[in-house]
Amino acid sequence: MTAASESLPHLEKGHAGPHEAHEDIRQYLMFDPKPRGEMNAMVMESMLTTSWKFWVVFGILAFLVATCFIYAWGYMIAEGLWVAGVMRPSYWGIFLVNTVFWIGISHAGTFISAILRVFKAEFRRPFTRAAELMTTFGLIQAGASIFMHLGRVWLAYWLFPIPNVRQLWPNFHSPLMWDLLAITTYILGSTMYLFLPLIPDLAMARDRSTGWRKTFYKILALGFRGTEGEWTHLHTAMNFFAFAIIPVMFSVHTIVSWDFAMAMRPGWSSTVFGPYFVLGALHSGMGAVAVVLFIMRVTMKHMDYFLRAEHFDALGKLMLIVSFAYSYFFFNDYIVQWYGGDRWTDTLLHWLEEGPMAWMFYQLIFLNIALPWLTLWNKKIRQTPWLLALIGLLINLGMYWERYLIVPVMLTINRMPFTWKLYEPRIEIFLTIGTFSLFLLFYLAASRLIPLIPVWEVQEGQMAHSLRKVGKTHLPSVSEVDLTMQ
Amino acid sequence: MSENNTILALFPDINPAADGVEKLQEMGVSDNDITVISGVPLTPAMLGRSHPHTNVSLLSLGGAVAGFCFGVFLNYGTPYLYTVPVGGQYITPIPPGMILIFEMTMLFALLATFLGVFLDSYFPNYRPLEYTPEISDGKIGVFFKCPAGEQKKFIDALSTLGAESVQPVEAQQL
Repeated sequence: MTAASESLPHLEKGHAGPHEAHEDIRQYLMFDPKPRGEMNAMVMESMLTTSWKFWVVFGILAFLVATCFIYAWGYMIAEGLWVAGVMRPSYWGIFLVNTVFWIGISHAGTFISAILRVFKAEFRRPFTRAAELMTTFGLIQAGASIFMHLGRVWLAYWLFPIPNVRQLWPNFHSPLMWDLLAITTYILGSTMYLFLPLIPDLAMARDRSTGWRKTFYKILALGFRGTEGEWTHLHTAMNFFAFAIIPVMFSVHTIVSWDFAMAMRPGWSSTVFGPYFVLGALHSGMGAVAVVLFIMRVTMKHMDYFLRAEHFDALGKLMLIVSFAYSYFFFNDYIVQWYGGDRWTDTLLHWLEEGPMAWMFYQLIFLNIALPWLTLWNKKIRQTPWLLALIGLLINLGMYWERYLIVPVMLTINRMPFTWKLYEPRIEIFLTIGTFSLFLLFYLAASRLIPLIPVWEVQEGQMAHSLRKVGKTHLPSVSEVDLTMQ
Repeated sequence: MSENNTILALFPDINPAADGVEKLQEMGVSDNDITVISGVPLTPAMLGRSHPHTNVSLLSLGGAVAGFCFGVFLNYGTPYLYTVPVGGQYITPIPPGMILIFEMTMLFALLATFLGVFLDSYFPNYRPLEYTPEISDGKIGVFFKCPAGEQKKFIDALSTLGAESVQPVEAQQL
């Protein structure tokens, strides 16, 4: 079933023009098909091949998780929140910065997988799963960060509407309660959305495994064979998920923004905070996808076949467009507050521009706005994986600074100057290292346990692509092969 | 009445598989007795088959309705069970309630859709099933039932149409 290769024009030797076109078109994954068995073997080999370097990195990350995440959190639970730097006026420290940051990272998975699936953007096919994994793993870190912030984490069940004898009931009119509901919906929804398209690839892995892996994949593949009925149910569900998860995604980060915007504080009380946060989330998420794809490409076998310059190019364009939109909302938020003339808001803005955290403010502007605008218009840069990954990494640094300024710094400059005290993180630094390490550790483990490339989606795309003769040339064209459109 | 055997015809591509399905229909095999299995989704139109019925959309809708009702109950019902009057504020204001109702509607709809795939596909299913791993390597498997005495006729017909192998299969552990 290699429709794309079969439909490539038959070319005679010595016919230089079309031959060159033929060779050129193979730079695109959809026009460079391999037999399904070969692609399966490549993906399986990428999962099964582990060098000593992998185990060294795995060991370091496991150590960091054990010390900076498990031990540090355990210590904080045992000792209380006084070991953290949160205190008046910055009661929300890095825990909330991390929560917002990780929810932001999680948005790219949904964006790439759902929105691009709805609009049938073909370049999405090989990297949807890598992006979806970011959603699930990112949300786990966001959830963990909130629980860290709770302090008495064992009382977390008070958040849930469980009939009780305490005469306490969740206040559904509080943005913090909306957070719980929205993040719970999002993490469950995105995990189900990750799992559904994974089932056929787990079945493929089951057919090619022995020992414990066979049992593992057999359980997860649920008995999938690929009957017409199974594909139809799967496609219908995936289509519904692709549409339904988009408003959920928007709601989550909008609600996170309302944690701030609903309060009458300088810097926070803003009507554009919702879309501004959503765009910021997409900005950091896109950058993170570029980093993950680059790491996958250089560390996993055969990934250069699946992840090509065209994919980095498309991702770079998306990053550029998102940076335009982000800049628009950033400026919108800034100029309205600047123009408003409120005394305390003015104080805050001057403090951001000239105070001790001004370096962070200017880095934010440079990394989130100037850097993508100056670089991503260039096709060569977009098509160079390491450069795009570096830009993605720097955008994420800028986005982290942005969240840092919004949470502890804007809490510092309030209407009571006698409380002003700059936040100094303490154990939070270790816990932050811990969440980053846990995210990477999850990813590393996933790269060896589940097929990170959705092989069936790649093959489906290759079947749909062909070259159509128009006049003297052949033009790429794509057919509609969506089951749900029949 | 003769006993029916399950036969698996393995095809290398879509076109011969579609021809094979058409031939089976011509030879009197009921559409219900034919199952096409593939490693990529194939539209029923490609194979000349009717569209399989799915309840997933209906279940999604049911989930959404249930979630909406649950959201309404949480937001406009439970506050009266645990009333906390706060200086002049409404016990059940409408605008903030919309957020909870939206999230519950979406959560239940997504859960019902996910469960719908399980129910309609009979997942998880760890019983022995008719299958061959070559299917996930790109082959298209056409399973059909035919009377044991007429097996050869079917095997010959499908082999002529390009089937790589046509043989009886037994259910096996996947």
